Amino acid sequence: MEKIDIAEVKRLASLSALEFDEKSLEKFVGDFENILNMVGEIQKCDTSKVEIKRACHDFDELRDDEAKEGISQEEVLLNSPKSRKGCFAVPQMLEE
Amino acid sequence: MEYNTLSLLEHVDLVKTGKVTSEELTKYYISKCKEMEKYNAVLEIFDDATSNAKAMDEKIKNGFKGALAGIPVIIKDNILYKGKKCTCSSKFLENYVAQYNATVVEKLLDAGAIIIGRANMDEFAMGSSTENSAFGVTHNAVNFDCVAGGSSGGSAVAVAGGMCPLSLGTDTGGSVRQPCAINGIVGIKPTYGRVSRYGVIAFASSLEQVGPMTKTVKDNAYALQVLAGHSKFDETSSNREVPSYIEEIEKPIAGLKICVLKEVEEAVKGLDTEKSYRNTKQILSSLGAEIVEMSMPDFSLSLPCYYVIAPAEATSNLGRFDGIKYSRRSENAKNVDEIYTKSRTEGFGDEVKRRIMLGNFVLSSGFFDAYYNKAKAVQQKLKDSAKEIFEKCDAILLPTTAGGAFKIGAKTDPVSMYKEDLFTIIANILGVPAITLPAGKTEDNMPLGVQILGREFDEATVYRIANAIEGERRKA
Amino acid sequence: MEYDIVIGLEVHAELKTNSKVFCSCKNQFGSAPNTNCCPVCIGLPGALPVLNKKAVELVIKAGLAIGGEINEEAIFERKNYFYPDLSKAYQISQLVKPICVGGHLKVGNREVQINRIHLEEDAGKLTHSGESGLTMVDYNRGGVPLMELVTEPDIHSAEEAVEFLTNLRSILVFADVAECKMEQGGMRCDVNVSIKPKGSEKLGNRTEMKNLNSFKSVERAIKYEVERQAEVLDKGGVVTQETRKWDDDAGISYAMRKKETSQDYRYFPDPDLLSVHISREKVAEIKKTLPLMPHELKEKYIAEFGLTEYEADIITREKKTIAYFEEASSICNQPKQVSNWLLTDVLAKAKESDGEILLSAKELGLLIKLIADGKVNRAVAKEIFAKVWAGEGDVQSLAQKLGGSVDEGQLAGMIDDVIAQNPKAVADYHASEEKDKLIKWFVGQVMKVSRGKANPTQAEQLIKQKLN
Repeated sequence: MEKIDIAEVKRLASLSALEFDEKSLEKFVGDFENILNMVGEIQKCDTSKVEIKRACHDFDELRDDEAKEGISQEEVLLNSPKSRKGCFAVPQMLEE
Repeated sequence: MEYNTLSLLEHVDLVKTGKVTSEELTKYYISKCKEMEKYNAVLEIFDDATSNAKAMDEKIKNGFKGALAGIPVIIKDNILYKGKKCTCSSKFLENYVAQYNATVVEKLLDAGAIIIGRANMDEFAMGSSTENSAFGVTHNAVNFDCVAGGSSGGSAVAVAGGMCPLSLGTDTGGSVRQPCAINGIVGIKPTYGRVSRYGVIAFASSLEQVGPMTKTVKDNAYALQVLAGHSKFDETSSNREVPSYIEEIEKPIAGLKICVLKEVEEAVKGLDTEKSYRNTKQILSSLGAEIVEMSMPDFSLSLPCYYVIAPAEATSNLGRFDGIKYSRRSENAKNVDEIYTKSRTEGFGDEVKRRIMLGNFVLSSGFFDAYYNKAKAVQQKLKDSAKEIFEKCDAILLPTTAGGAFKIGAKTDPVSMYKEDLFTIIANILGVPAITLPAGKTEDNMPLGVQILGREFDEATVYRIANAIEGERRKA
Repeated sequence: MEYDIVIGLEVHAELKTNSKVFCSCKNQFGSAPNTNCCPVCIGLPGALPVLNKKAVELVIKAGLAIGGEINEEAIFERKNYFYPDLSKAYQISQLVKPICVGGHLKVGNREVQINRIHLEEDAGKLTHSGESGLTMVDYNRGGVPLMELVTEPDIHSAEEAVEFLTNLRSILVFADVAECKMEQGGMRCDVNVSIKPKGSEKLGNRTEMKNLNSFKSVERAIKYEVERQAEVLDKGGVVTQETRKWDDDAGISYAMRKKETSQDYRYFPDPDLLSVHISREKVAEIKKTLPLMPHELKEKYIAEFGLTEYEADIITREKKTIAYFEEASSICNQPKQVSNWLLTDVLAKAKESDGEILLSAKELGLLIKLIADGKVNRAVAKEIFAKVWAGEGDVQSLAQKLGGSVDEGQLAGMIDDVIAQNPKAVADYHASEEKDKLIKWFVGQVMKVSRGKANPTQAEQLIKQKLN
């Protein structure tokens, strides 16, 4: 049975770009453990002889390299929460 | 005339023969949507629907003969229709306006359909009850106190409640079939790759398909004919030829071999669905089909397998909702990192957050092999055993749900909600077509369905068997 | 203490395609912001990637050019992280099965081992504008096909690293895989550096410097880093494994704020893309389209055309010089002469015109052919060259005007005149023991009379006949 601690949930939250307050965090841990227990069932399955087949297509079926007009700058920015001079804009980032 | 008692094919016929105009039909269904507003199935009725219908009437007069000429259709709110809002029932996309058409929308429009509105759903298609919508719960068409099912609950209730003759849903783990079953209508999850996913807001890319939802099997076959086919915008859409689904739909099913799974025979014992499932088996036998009992030992692993693969893909698919490019950006964010975390934390509901976290868990280093890779191996094992079954049999019979629609608010524990999809997920894991059709009622008079699963790209046989069952049930 | 230097390079090059790698938008530099964009490359909901055949082909070409092995199945994965230049919050790249594995590239007398080449998509561009307090995001570059070549830690000096990059660049340009325009970010380099006590087997901790965009900065950054690490070790310290930022203006590097160790990219196969089967026949077919590489051409020029090492080196350094040389040679069949003209006249002159060559290879070939056929002499040829360069006509018509128009009859007449007008010289000739020397004087006179148009060889023969 997979045990999950608060630190692990915080690590996942950081990867997920999500925040949880302390109260919801506790409920979350409980739910999460239940889910992991259900999901953990797959560990019991013997897959040693299984050969995974991936959907594949041939090189020749790939898209030809023809350039086409996309959508206009105005359409690109249609739903943008903030834009400036044809660009999406965010608060200035420190150059790294 | 109450058009909503008619089948889709009857609608098509009425328009074709000039007995009704698209404008009349559209106005009729818009008024039905308004009458049924309290069911919260439809999030928005498009204000240009009537004018589009008028324009379509002109086109029809001038000889246009599209398969869905003038027919009002409602689409699930995760399918992009250019210039219209598309929210995935999420606060995050509350004001998002589609910048292009989904391939299925193009196909509907090319066929002459009038898209009159968008239907409520579980946020980002994550859920089995349409209780996870940021815009309120959708109510079951048969019993207002019960859930609509999900995630395509709004689409199912729209058809079952007489608000349109055809709707589109999407099915990632049962999201078309489960709500169809518990509202008493017909829905299909086509073979993976049969319908293009381009322009459908992705939840779990390798599992989901768009499927039509209708009152009858034949209506459904007719609608899928419009949607199916390759799209050059979707590598995973198949370029296999689309056969005519209607042509052989009436062909007798005597001699077809239909598999029942040993594991399911056990599992249904004592469930509400047992009676209708066994009853359907009898119908099939009486029609001369041969029932073959076979085993799929890992059947029950389809559920955990799904809850690894789907969240893994979802977490990555939902990364693009970052507050930079479209819609929600938290007003409280002072820098880029805060734009990410605050926009997402404020914009997503609990279930979505849970799945994103779960996805990151199974993908993160140290767990990837034990979860993601293991689930892919289990999926392959299931596919291998299905292959054996389909070498001997033409189809598999399964119940759609364990029971009828439950009361709104009755299921609070995520895992018990996940188990709603116990019988539907297998078709997504296998990639094969699966249809649900009405098969009886619970003791509380709530609808139940059964599923027919077919070989990859053999929707024709699936429809044929379903049509035969439907015919028998109508006689009874 | 003395140290061994161990360097590994990760080189990104934008591929020379018309369209982007996963959508049909233009792969074009310098457009107005967000105008080469579509739902796919700005990461709109519902959009799906569709792989560009040409991009795969170019990586195969690059792989074959460096002697790598082309995988029969190539898989695309998602590399997940949040950054504003990454529209989908994941980059489509390759981890488990890249298009090419292995390979090597000659540097000096050594083969530097290559680990892999894979195909991925470029990110958009961020502009940090101080005054507005904003960072601007432009996705024109997002989705441009990039190949990433990763070497083994098999390079041992800054100079070697630069030579590796120079050679790689010329191969990529020559094979038409990439233009490698450094100033446009068309070729960028990440450098991993570590040092270890001389002779020691154990690798030291390495540091990484990202996105160096000139060979000069690669060289300086490595030298700086080697010195810095040596100082740390000399003092008995331990080099921290970290990502550093090279500041080209200051000539120093410093550790980046964010620790790379916390990154977990959660790679998994992209479910929107099928894996690609690359048949052996297809690889063979693509191999046939691969031209001889510069180093191979160099050897050929020396062995077959008798060019010096120096000449061959200069010609094979640039793709356009090779093309020029090849075309001119094919017309006149005098590669050695073409090389002479190219190095002394053409390239020298080109320097005066911003490197632009104003006389086509075809014209040069023709000119050399005229000399070889005795239609013009060198002096006239130089005059024609200068005029064509200045845009005052073409070789053919100038040759007709300035040279080659003296026929045998005219020549005989001119010689007769010269002999008649110089009786003393004729007498000297007959008396002299050194007839060959004096005959040259006569030839010179004929050339003067003909204003250089006569063929000197032909004239010499005729003069001899007439005097004897």
